[in-house]
This record gives sequence, C-alpha cells and structure tokens, in this order.
Amino acid sequence: MAAVTSNSTREEQVKALQKKEARRRRLPLLPALLFTIVVTQVPFLMSLYYSFTKWTVTPPSPREWIGIENYTDAFTNMFFRQAAMTSVIMTLTSVVLSVILGTGVALLLDRKFFGQGFVRTLIITPFLVMPVVAGLVWKNQMFSAAFGVLNWVLNQVGVESIEFASKFPRWSIVGVLVWQWTPFMMLIILAGLQGQSSSVIEAAKVDGASPRATFFQITLPHLRPYIELGVLLGSIYLIQVFDHIVVMTGGGPGSTNVPLFVNQRSIGGGWRFGSASAFSIVVVVATIILATFGLRVLSGLLEGEEAA
Amino acid sequence: MAEVRFDAASRIYPGTEVPAVNELNLDIADGELLVLVGPSGSGKSTALRMLAGLEFIDKGSVFINDKDVTLAPPQDRDIAMVFQNYALYPQMSVAANMGFALKQQGIPKDERRKRVEEAARILDLEPYLDRKPKNLSGGQRQRVAMGRAIVRSPQVFLMDEPLSNLDAKLRVQTRTELADLQARLGVTTVYVTHDQVEAMTMGHRVAVLDHGVLQQVARPRDLYSKPENRFVAGFIGSPAMNLVDVDATNGIAIAGGTVPFDDSVNVANQSGTVSVGVRPEHLSLVTDGTPDSIAGEVTVVEELGSEAFVHVRTKHQGDDLTLVVRDEGETSTQRGDQVSVAFTGPTHLFGADGERVGD
Ligand SMILES: Nc1ncnc2c1ncn2[C@@H]1O[C@H](COP(=O)(O)OP(=O)(O)O)[C@@H](O)[C@H]1O
Ligand SMILES: [Mg+2]
Repeated sequence: MAAVTSNSTREEQVKALQKKEARRRRLPLLPALLFTIVVTQVPFLMSLYYSFTKWTVTPPSPREWIGIENYTDAFTNMFFRQAAMTSVIMTLTSVVLSVILGTGVALLLDRKFFGQGFVRTLIITPFLVMPVVAGLVWKNQMFSAAFGVLNWVLNQVGVESIEFASKFPRWSIVGVLVWQWTPFMMLIILAGLQGQSSSVIEAAKVDGASPRATFFQITLPHLRPYIELGVLLGSIYLIQVFDHIVVMTGGGPGSTNVPLFVNQRSIGGGWRFGSASAFSIVVVVATIILATFGLRVLSGLLEGEEAA
Repeated sequence: MAEVRFDAASRIYPGTEVPAVNELNLDIADGELLVLVGPSGSGKSTALRMLAGLEFIDKGSVFINDKDVTLAPPQDRDIAMVFQNYALYPQMSVAANMGFALKQQGIPKDERRKRVEEAARILDLEPYLDRKPKNLSGGQRQRVAMGRAIVRSPQVFLMDEPLSNLDAKLRVQTRTELADLQARLGVTTVYVTHDQVEAMTMGHRVAVLDHGVLQQVARPRDLYSKPENRFVAGFIGSPAMNLVDVDATNGIAIAGGTVPFDDSVNVANQSGTVSVGVRPEHLSLVTDGTPDSIAGEVTVVEELGSEAFVHVRTKHQGDDLTLVVRDEGETSTQRGDQVSVAFTGPTHLFGADGERVGD
C-alpha cells in the first residue's frame, strides 16, 4: 500500500519537474513569439474585420458592417474564381517543376568534380535576383520577339519569332518562376543528399540494387522531409507571386492570379478594400487546406514507394 | 561456398603516393573465418572493400571461387557486408532491411517473408521485424545488420569491425555468437578488427597488416608462439610481449641477465642492435641471487584475480627499462619491493631488420 502511494507521488514529482523543464525551455522564446504574433496576426485580424465590411474610398464612404456578403460575392464572382484557378495552376506547376528540376540538379551537384563550388554558386544566382528584375530580364532579354534570346535561337532553326509573354502569358510566367525557384529546391535537396550516409549507399550496392532502385527505394524516402519542406515553402511564396506578373503580362489573359486580382480591386484602382480583404482571407484558408492536403498526398506517395 | 584469393592486390588512393594496401597475397579457404587485424590506418578496411568491389584495385587481382572479380561491381560478386556503423536503411522496417537484397533479385514476396523470418528466428529478431532501425538498441541493430547478410546466403561474408559500436560485455558475448553462427552456416568470412583479442578468439587464421603490408598469416596459436617479426610480436598478446633492444656485440643480455635461446638461434652470429622478445608468462619472480636473473623494483601490480601482472623497473644499457612479469594466483608483491626476474620460458630474437631469427 505504502509503495503505491510513494509511486504516485513520485509520478507527480516527475510531472512537476517536466513542466518546469518545459517552461524553462519555452520562456526565452516568449518575446520573439509575442513580436511575431503582433506583427503577423494583427494585420491578419484587421483584414478579417475589414472583410466583413463595405469599405470603398471612391466615393468616400464610412465603413459599414455587412456580414458575409463579401464572401458570398467572392464565391459567385467569376473573375475571382478564374484568378483563384490561375493561382492554383501556376503555383502547383511551378512548385512541382522546380522540385523535379531541383532534385535533378542536386543529384548532379552531389558528386565531386573540379570547380564544384563555383558551379554551385552560379546555379544559385537566379534565386538571388529580385522578382521584378527577373520578370524584366526574361520579358526583354529572353522572351521578346525583337531582341529575345529564345527567339534568336528559334530563328536559327528556322522558326518564326513568337511573342511568348503575350501568346503564352501563363506559361511564360511559370517558366520564369521555375527558373527562379529551382535553385532554392536544389539547395534544400542538396542538403538532404549530403546528410545521407555514404555507407548506406554502399550497402545498397553490395545488396545488388541498381542505381535506379537505390534512388527510388533509399534516396527518395530519405529526401522526403526535405522535399516536403521545399514544397511547403515554395507554395507559400509562389501563391503570393505578384511582381513577375505585373512586369511581364500586367495580368494579361489567363495570368491574373489572386494577388493581382486583389490588387486591382483595392489600391490598383477598384478601391474596394472590404471585398479585397475577403478575397485574401479566402486565399489564406484555401492555401492552408491545399498545403495540408498536398503534403498528405506527397507523404502517401513516398510511403507507398517504400512499402512496395 | 567459396574460396577467396588476393593476388598481389594493391590500392593506391588518388592523390597519395603510398599504397593503402600493398601487394596483398592471401588465400582464404572455403568456410574459413579469416580475421584481418592491424592498427588503425593499416589498410584493413581498404583490403575488405577491395574484395567487396567498393574500392578499385590498382594492381594485382582478386578471385572468388577462381573467378577473377578484380573489375566486377559489388552486385556481381555475391558477397554480403556488415558495416561498422551497420548502414541500415533508416526508412525501412527491420523486415524490409533484411529482405532488401532478395527484393533486388526479384524473389517473390512470400518467399522473401519466409527467408526473413527464418533469419530473424536465428538472430532472435522476430519481435522487432516491423520496427524502424532508430527504435532498436545497438545490439539489436547489429543483429539486423547480420540478418541482412545471412538472409542472402552469399558466397562470402565481409565484416568491417561489426562489434566496435557495442559495449564491452555485449561485444564479448556477440563475438562468441558470431563465431558460432559462422561455423554453423559454414560461409567463408573475412572479418576486420583492430582488436587483437577479437582476432585471436574468432579467427581460424589471422592476417596481421601494418602500413598496408601483410606481416604474417597464421593460426592464432602460431601467431602467438612464433611471431615472424618484431611488429607481430608486439601487436599480438595482451599484455604485450616485452621487447627489448639489445646491443648484440658481446652476447645477448638484458640488464645483466643473459638471455637463453633455443638451439636454432646462433647468438654469436648476431651483431648490431637486435630485439629480444619475451612474454610476461615466460618471466618469473625468483629469490635473490638466482643466476642470470635481473634485479629491479616493482612499480605497478595489476591484480586480475587468477593472475597478476607485475611491472618491474630495472636499468638496461644505461636507460630505465620496465619488464612486465606474470605472477600466478594471488601475489604478495607490492609496489616498491626489490625483486629478481628470471627467464623461465621460450624467448624470441628479432634481427636488426626486425625479422625473426631461428625457429
Ligand atoms: N578515401 C580515401 N582517400 C585517401 N586515403 C584513404 C582513403 N581511405 C583510407 N585512406 C587511407 O588509407 C589508409 C588505410 O585506411 P583504412 O583501410 O581505412 O585503414 P583501417 O581500416 O585499417 O583503419 C589510411 O592511411 C587512410 O588514411
Ligand atoms: Mg577501418
């Protein structure tokens, strides 16, 4: 009997100690956490509030609470639905393509060769270019019908010039986004590759695995968390893409995504801040759902690969 | 089953001058457990990896079953390897780890499962088949690595210090189990270790490497009683053999005590600096005044229960010299005692070139 009581008190003691330990670890985080909450969540909450109001600047009128009207609008507004579709397609294709390309480049760079560091730096540079500059460079130096490098190459092989940015506005933008984001994915995946123990690869060799089998059954499952991280960060950034589009197509056919659309509705001329806020809230919620779902699917895919 | 042969095989790493393994000649019989032993950096792992196909062979050749595999990739050699850090596939369960090689051979799932379970039974791994390696103890991981090797029934097992990540007690226990398993399976095995005790207890034969050069291959007992050179003499045995450099111009004596040699050693033929070797158990503490004994002072007594190792400090050719003497049973000797040491067993002589003199 005595043993039982002393056990339970010991349990409580341990619990108390654990709590203390947890507090000791979390306390130093508090200032940073508070700051982050104030800086990120307050504007979000304000947007949330605005999204339930009617608030236009021209003609100037007082803010007025209208409930969920902005939201019902959002779902019936055909232009918004189009913009949302564009956002999803652009983000998905850009992320998927840059992850695939980034993995390929990372695999190539993961071996030793002369000038490795130099090549690595060269490959990273697109990621360091400002979005506006990237858009301008591609529009004028690469895609342009008159001076573009791509068209020059096409002309050399006897193909007529194509004004890429106006003919294929959406895919031109995806091209530039992939160009900018492949280095980022490459960096993350390269870090993953270099964290893999070389003896595991050797063990697979001795076990008779082909390079293909080694990649799909051992390296890829190992890279899974890195790829997930890349997809997550890439999606969060790419859903917000704005500069590239403004510069390259100005939102031309099929390339108006949600940020651009929201911009047009608010400071870009529409001056309807209430409904613009509602649109952005819808996008945030959709992004969270999409990212969660996307990661599930990705995990499932890689898990299945392993079980097979 | 398989024989393995190294034929003057060398490995020179790119950017280095000295071969990591230098013209290695080695014949390993079918079913034999051969241990490669040597200090760190002596080229043991390199030699093993040459046999595995993980390292290029710059000169010479390697044969498995009289088939030249010098240029064959690992997967064409039908070998299984146990790595020092086990190199388990971290994302796979224990069962998937053990079945991986079979899967690569396209063996159907049922058959795979059967063979994995059989190996798991031999190694007491049955309860852990669905766990991931990170949720296993060190000893269990080691057994999974073993399991991965035996599931395949390969021609040759290669093991690179497979026990060095285990604690001392588990290492001794696993050592015996491993030797027993190898004998039962009868698979030719090359086993690398830096631990000479492991080498002596496990090996049917032991090959001693130093600086990439093979020093001696022999059965453990012969290695112990007839070391071919000064390096092997000093490396094999714990505590190590007493090795004393002696100026041989006027006969061979240590600290005034003339060293007895067997008839095959011609002391008069020796000149220059030679080395005398004598194991601690072939020296004894004797009463003062015994002829040809060495007088000295006890500095350390290592009591092991059934025996004790007594360190005796004496003067030899003007320098301090410490001899280790084995004293049987419980010793009454203490630090600071003045004692006499006599030769009571075989002695070894190594010439100026380090090679053994006589039989
Ligand atoms: N990849 C390598 N490149 C250059 N030198 C190496 C490489 N691997 C090992 N060596 C050198 O070769 C020698 C033998 O190494 P190794 O076979 O690992 O020794 P051991 O396993 O006996 O400790 C060492 O001097 C080591 O520094
Ligand atoms: Mg080694």
